[in-house]
Amino acid sequence: MISADLLHEARLRAGLTQAELGRRVHRSQSQIARWERGDVKPSLETLRELIRACGLELTFGLANYDDSYDEWILRALERTPEERLAHAVQAAGVWREFQASVEEARERAAV
Amino acid sequence: MSEPRFDPKPLLNALQRHDVDFIVVGAAAAISQGSPLPTYDLDVTPARDPQNIERIVAALVDLDAKLRTPAEPVPFPIDARMLARGEAWTLDTRFGSLDLVFAPAGTQGYDDLRRDALLVDLGTDRPVLVASIRDVIRMKEASAREKDRMQLPALRRTLDVIRRREHEA
Repeated sequence: MISADLLHEARLRAGLTQAELGRRVHRSQSQIARWERGDVKPSLETLRELIRACGLELTFGLANYDDSYDEWILRALERTPEERLAHAVQAAGVWREFQASVEEARERAAV
Repeated sequence: MSEPRFDPKPLLNALQRHDVDFIVVGAAAAISQGSPLPTYDLDVTPARDPQNIERIVAALVDLDAKLRTPAEPVPFPIDARMLARGEAWTLDTRFGSLDLVFAPAGTQGYDDLRRDALLVDLGTDRPVLVASIRDVIRMKEASAREKDRMQLPALRRTLDVIRRREHEA
């Protein structure tokens, strides 16, 4: 779904309908829809052409594979949306208190 | 003066009590769908019609909203015409920080985000419209702020995990 998501994101960022994008790249609206649904995957070259037609550039880079967030995401998904938000707010509060205590310690050390 | 503890539920309840049409965007939207990142404020995209702006004014008065500044929050005359002229308002309220963003980066605003938004139970008086995680990624990708772009790996990973679970189910 990576190409589908990227195409969908680029088209909406450009404020285009599927038909408008289709006209720009001489493809039908239904072809754009198939790519966006992930029914058909465009080649990398075609994807780049489609994204350029939205006024954006597809950039490339290589990075190490990183699934370190997965454990936290899976844990979050076990909670209800209400619990997820409450947990995140609590975590942010704890982090803020820690930052404040570090700041206080720094000020005490400077005196 | 210490800043009030951030509590999104009463903020959302106040917007709902005044019948404001809005969509939760930003980190809170992503968190409600499984993102592992914390949040320190509530970002919402309200509809821009004049009636809704009037309802926002009523909610902001209720919340004792002030302009957020690097120093103390600054009181300001909460006025519909002024609110409508701004693109984004960063506010402090009795329940913490609230950002109103009429057209987040990479979007056309409320109607654009409404298409893919989810109705989610966040424990408030009524379920809340929340921007899809795909749309949160769209906004963060389009943002020029480094702190937004730094969240993208976790957000993309969250979307991957959700998709994988859906596929397995």
